[in-house]
Amino acid sequence: MSHDGIHPEPTSFWRKHVFSVDHKVIAKQFLWFGLVWLLIGGMMAMMIRWQLANPGEPFPVLGALLFPSTGGVIQPDTYNVLFTMHGTIMIFLGLTPVLIGCFGNYCIPMLIGARDMIVPLLNMLSFWTLMLGGAVGFYSLLVPLGASEAGWTGYPTLSTTVGAPGSGETLWALAVFLIGASSIMGGINYITTIVRLRAPGMTWSRLPLTIWGMFFTAILNVLFLPVIGSAMILLVLDRAFGTQFYVPATMIDGGGGDPILYQHLFWIFGHPEVYILILPAWGFISDFLSFFARKPAFGYRVTVGAMLAVTVLSAVVYGHHMFTTGLSPMLGESFMLLTMIISVPGEILFFNWLHTIWRGSLRLTTPMLFSLGTVFVFGLGGLTGLYLATISTDIFLHDTYFVVGHFHLTMAASSLFGAFAAIYFWMPKMFGRMLDERLGKLHFWATFIPLTIVFCVMFWSGYAGMPRRYYDHTYLEYLRDLQHLNVLTSAAAFLLGAAQLIFAFNFIRSRWWGAKAPTNPWEVGTLDMAVPSPVPYYNFETIPTVVTGPHEFSNPAIPDGKDWIFQTEPLADRAAAPTDPSAQPAASH
Amino acid sequence: MTIASIHAPVEDTRDRTNAALGMAIFIGSWAMAFAVLFISFLILRQRQAVWPPVGVTLPSLPLAVAATLTLLGSSFALHRSVSALRRGAPFTSWWTAGLVGGLVFAVLQTWLWADLWAAGTTTFTGGTYESLFYGLTWFHGLHVLCGLGALFLARIGAATGRYGHQRRAFVVNAAVFWHFVDVVWIVLFICFFVP
Repeated sequence: MSHDGIHPEPTSFWRKHVFSVDHKVIAKQFLWFGLVWLLIGGMMAMMIRWQLANPGEPFPVLGALLFPSTGGVIQPDTYNVLFTMHGTIMIFLGLTPVLIGCFGNYCIPMLIGARDMIVPLLNMLSFWTLMLGGAVGFYSLLVPLGASEAGWTGYPTLSTTVGAPGSGETLWALAVFLIGASSIMGGINYITTIVRLRAPGMTWSRLPLTIWGMFFTAILNVLFLPVIGSAMILLVLDRAFGTQFYVPATMIDGGGGDPILYQHLFWIFGHPEVYILILPAWGFISDFLSFFARKPAFGYRVTVGAMLAVTVLSAVVYGHHMFTTGLSPMLGESFMLLTMIISVPGEILFFNWLHTIWRGSLRLTTPMLFSLGTVFVFGLGGLTGLYLATISTDIFLHDTYFVVGHFHLTMAASSLFGAFAAIYFWMPKMFGRMLDERLGKLHFWATFIPLTIVFCVMFWSGYAGMPRRYYDHTYLEYLRDLQHLNVLTSAAAFLLGAAQLIFAFNFIRSRWWGAKAPTNPWEVGTLDMAVPSPVPYYNFETIPTVVTGPHEFSNPAIPDGKDWIFQTEPLADRAAAPTDPSAQPAASH
Repeated sequence: MTIASIHAPVEDTRDRTNAALGMAIFIGSWAMAFAVLFISFLILRQRQAVWPPVGVTLPSLPLAVAATLTLLGSSFALHRSVSALRRGAPFTSWWTAGLVGGLVFAVLQTWLWADLWAAGTTTFTGGTYESLFYGLTWFHGLHVLCGLGALFLARIGAATGRYGHQRRAFVVNAAVFWHFVDVVWIVLFICFFVP
């Protein structure tokens, strides 16, 4: 092991681009991997929406290629595969690699002033384990009887050999286990790196909020991914070796397994997973709102405290996913209370963000637009969460599209917007090229408006009784009247899907032919902005010494008439400058 | 610190703390995986009217006791070895003793499974008890294999001079992992053999 995780410059193609131990190359690998899977998972969402809007009609163009035996019509079992794999792919293979794999890897060493992760080799292993998990997941789509049909939650008895006789479900469980192992490796690396490799002067209160978000995410990753790992191992044992962990007693003589046990294990992991996906996005936007409002982040310490509170609380609220399982009412009420409490730190974060942009000189760049979008959709999603935290309303809304709308706005849309904000923000530093701003803004509005329609209309149809996961709801008379809502949702969803082509075009074009990025494209003072774009393999020529916080914007003590300062530069009159960033005056105008 | 001065031929206290912290986080993390298995054990046991369930062939207690004592002895030997390593004293004999103890444990564990399987109790014929016994011990067994691999690598490294007083983080971590495997086994033993 060497100091600061530095390694010699790679020379061969394989070492440089494939089996690289450089955190920046691994970050790019995670990014490409995640983007490809987001495309696949997004395509599945399009097929789901097609079936809901036009039940039994052949899916245009791609349908004939993918389902030739039915002439492009999505069959019921295919539909089950689609919604199962859409969820699994988006969460485990799309958002996790982009948010945590890519930006965790890129940001942590760059923003704390380190030359690499503490164990670069483990970092590489983390990516290749994920790759293996992705390969197993993809292969499961091709096996006889198809991939998992048990929903992304994989509940027994749907997921036991009784409900899912094909090998697809076993492969699904193995893929989830491998992906979990990858996240654990990453998490161990992230925590140790943040604790041990901060540059001199990079105190805990000078860390960018991005790093705080990533730190809490890493803690949740190492604590709760092993839970799903074990749950998946028991599922594989049940399926492959005939054990009876989840197989209920009534099905086999002498058995005594418990399907509800699986639900407990799944949600002990599953609820923290929501925060695993949202905490990095919270970190990004807490920084970006400050960066582009040219003001210090309001209540830095309180923001960190609120994130910590959410991290802790996330571990003790999982029961609200199980109100309809016959949970003891006393237990249910405890979970309801704890779930309600989690909205308090959530609101603190929300108001800190609002106060950060309040009376700032906003620069409405694409990353800023996506950050504001995150705040908006997270607000919507968070508020509707209260109805699902309350037992009496949850029992009515359970397994309806209200739930689908809620969790998509909170964990999917907010995380995705956070990921887009981060991609637009760090692309110049990662690839040395700027993403096109006009296309970026077009992408934002073309995403934001349809997305809001898609998930808000879901609240409406869900409240009216539209259940999740029905293949063809139109044969039920009472649901036929909701068809216009489904058609509206689907139309907006197709627009949303089409808008991502703008991003794909912009990303591919800018990656190779975009404008060359300046060293500090956004005029912010974090450590990565002081080194050339793209960042050289050793990151920092000399390990920097940090003397100021990350959000010293519009501080009167900044020399040279700028409104920003590098974290390595001292303020002109340190004695006069207030030490608490939140206590500093707002932009002077 | 400039780029030229970064390669350190031997590890220093900083590297050792890094390695110890990383290992501690890993153990904390992976303890959650076993915690889940033990929670599952408790819940499924709770579902049964009688424990162990009527008609279950119990695994051999003498074999399990022998295995437990061997594993404890092996952990103790590794502990002595690491203490010697930290002092700069010769450590390889204690380490070899620990490694051999681990191998004997693996043999006894296999014997335990073979014995039970030969008695006609398989996962395919059994119920909750067999599911829990095989499932949990198999999962633990995988960790025994990984642990033995690490102990073996450390021993090879000690023989080639790669590891020693100056460079010992890997050796210490291998021992820490083995202690973890040991602790998990003790909980397993309590679950299945202590009434």
